[in-house]
Amino acid sequence: MSRRADENDELWAAVADPTRRRLLDALLTHGEATATMLAGELPVTRQAVAKHLAVLDRAGLVEGRRQGREVRYAVRPERLDAATRWMADVAAQWDQRLAAIKRLAESSARERRHPTKTRRKGD
Amino acid sequence: MVPERIEREILIDAPLDVVWAVVTEPQHVGTWFSDSAKIDLRSGGEGTLTWREHGTVRVRVERVEPPHSFSFRWARPMGVEPAEGNSTLVEFSLSADGEGTRLRVVESGFPDLELAEAERARYAEENEQGWNLELGELREYVSKLVGASTRR
Repeated sequence: MSRRADENDELWAAVADPTRRRLLDALLTHGEATATMLAGELPVTRQAVAKHLAVLDRAGLVEGRRQGREVRYAVRPERLDAATRWMADVAAQWDQRLAAIKRLAESSARERRHPTKTRRKGD
Repeated sequence: MVPERIEREILIDAPLDVVWAVVTEPQHVGTWFSDSAKIDLRSGGEGTLTWREHGTVRVRVERVEPPHSFSFRWARPMGVEPAEGNSTLVEFSLSADGEGTRLRVVESGFPDLELAEAERARYAEENEQGWNLELGELREYVSKLVGASTRR
């Protein structure tokens, strides 16, 4: 249970960063790439790329395969799907909250137009 | 690309000032957001959102420009003062649309890995509740993305 919570949390943090999202995009484009290759494409150092890849790896979003002296990374699509689904859930929560705001505001506006049993505003 | 921010919008059949009141006044916020709320409605003002079952989250008001703009940070985990790395920014924009109001919300700055291990575990557990809703749109997008990546 809390294992799952930890995983969700890491997913959350992993996709929150713009550089990491660009890394994910680049990896999706290439299928597989090393930190050196990725650093060639993004305006960040190889060290920074390696750090971000480590975060993504910890979150389970990428996996590395050692080849010679370098590690080749690839996206784990099922984990990326979970991350994005989570963001979708947050969006759905906002839809609920906005709907609640709408209900409250519209009923308040109706009362203002037809102040039958409610106190008058501005008194 | 995986979204970095959540943006939602709704059209409301009520005037701007009414919507502004609902979005910003604690007695309303304690209805549509939490079970109760306290907000010091000025830039830098502090507040709390309380859920009977989950506890209290602290907020800090960032911007108040009636009746168009209201933003605040809310911290996870529970009870912690909002700061970079443990909180997200929620920004409301209101604009007149005919006789009604267009209300837009953007939530951004989802926490980075700055929190201590224990804090993050707690944060995650607290946030796991309620994430069980459905929304097709982004999921579809990701299925496409995932399809593309597995077709290589």
